[in-house]
Amino acid sequence: MAELTSNQLRVRLVTPERVLFDQAAETVELPSKSGYLEVLYGHAPLVAELGAGDVNIRGAAIAEAGGESEIRYNVSWGFVEVLPDRVTILASDAMKPEEIDVRRAEQQLDHGLTLWKQAGESVEAYDEALRIISEAEAKIASAAEKG
Amino acid sequence: MANVLDLRRRIRSVKNTRQITKAMKMVSAAKLRRAQERALAARPYAAMITSVLQSLTRRVDLYDETTGNLCHPLFLTRPEKRVLLIVISGDKGFAGAFNANILKTAHQFINGNPDKEIDIETVGRKGRDQLRRHYPAAVYTEQRGEDGSVRQVRERKARVELVGSHPGMLLKLEVAQVLDMAQEIISRYVREEIDAAYIVYNEFKSVIQQRLVVERLLPLIELGRQQITGAVEPSEEEKERAAEAALSAGIQLEAADTTEAEEEAKKFGTANVDYIYEQPAESLFKGLLPQYISSILFHALSESVAAEHAARMTAMDSATNNASDMIDSLTLHMNRVRQAAITKEIIEIVSGAAAL
Repeated sequence: MAELTSNQLRVRLVTPERVLFDQAAETVELPSKSGYLEVLYGHAPLVAELGAGDVNIRGAAIAEAGGESEIRYNVSWGFVEVLPDRVTILASDAMKPEEIDVRRAEQQLDHGLTLWKQAGESVEAYDEALRIISEAEAKIASAAEKG
Repeated sequence: MANVLDLRRRIRSVKNTRQITKAMKMVSAAKLRRAQERALAARPYAAMITSVLQSLTRRVDLYDETTGNLCHPLFLTRPEKRVLLIVISGDKGFAGAFNANILKTAHQFINGNPDKEIDIETVGRKGRDQLRRHYPAAVYTEQRGEDGSVRQVRERKARVELVGSHPGMLLKLEVAQVLDMAQEIISRYVREEIDAAYIVYNEFKSVIQQRLVVERLLPLIELGRQQITGAVEPSEEEKERAAEAALSAGIQLEAADTTEAEEEAKKFGTANVDYIYEQPAESLFKGLLPQYISSILFHALSESVAAEHAARMTAMDSATNNASDMIDSLTLHMNRVRQAAITKEIIEIVSGAAAL
């Protein structure tokens, strides 16, 4: 991995299948379950559960060379550990915005909405439906932002 | 005695067979390499999940004050009356004794626990087909509840029943599917339909480091340690054969060295600092456990896939060698027969001439 200059974070994005990203960067924006949070160098140690949304990595070494200042991944569910000089994201699922299959996400959204309507009194079914809906919505939003 | 023409045909046919087995061996070797890479790539995630869970358990507020146990249904142990057995076999044959060995271990487990009710869930077509012949499938009947909702009620007819299979899961291992499977198992455990869950599979660290294991998935007793309850090591001879086949196909014998990456992964979430927990530790813990179970399952599945390819590669290498031996002996035989025919003809001519 690239040498860390001062006040850079080492960012790693790990999915159950493989390590997707392992580089130095300046800031990371994370979709925690209770809202987005942004991490800079020197952040207090933190562990959080992730929801569905976009991870934005700014000032990464490779992105600078490519002229792009921002790397974005759509992640759904997972955990993150923040240390002053290191961020490790454990995502259940992560992909680049351009890899998102919008049609499938829309189908997922419809499916989620039907579940939501059928949920009735059951809290579990309700949560499950909300989970599916938020995941689909995050995917669609992330894909739309790119295009 | 067969004549030269017959023998020549025979040799040609064996040569064709040898070509097929050789191709199959190379295909399996390529697939094995890929499967091994995938299994390796999945390790950091599993290690990180484990270490963050371990670090969370060190927080006192997760423990029950009276019993000192972790406050989570997955850590509750009950007397094992009903057991779920997950049998991971292959989808295809031509892999030597791979599937047979797994099924043998599964049968041993079933016969070794005669006092328990066992539910079997299979992954892989071969295991499903064979077990289906031995044990009946679970029967569910629909019952209408008082509020009009339809519930599935199960009637147990036999001690050992098949509850489900996952066809096509091994073709392309997907994390989402494995997570669904894990969640299903967890919910059955929480509803107390099962008191324990075991996996039977072929563990595969490298070509020479593999064994058949029975691993306990639930209940969780200690995090981060495999709960192996039974293991069968392959014989030295089998190991040698596997190593030979791997060498000729250019597969590394030793597992790739990932100690450094794993050490790094183990530090995840365990730094000696006071973390801010964005969500309460309990809810983090609850969210992580299914991921942990699913990572154990994923590990078992991906190693089993690698082991299947390795077994097929070894079997096909043996078949290729046997075909070569057969061609050699048939060629020798054919030459003898041809020589005998020539000698016979010469004798006939000579004795014919002498008689003149």
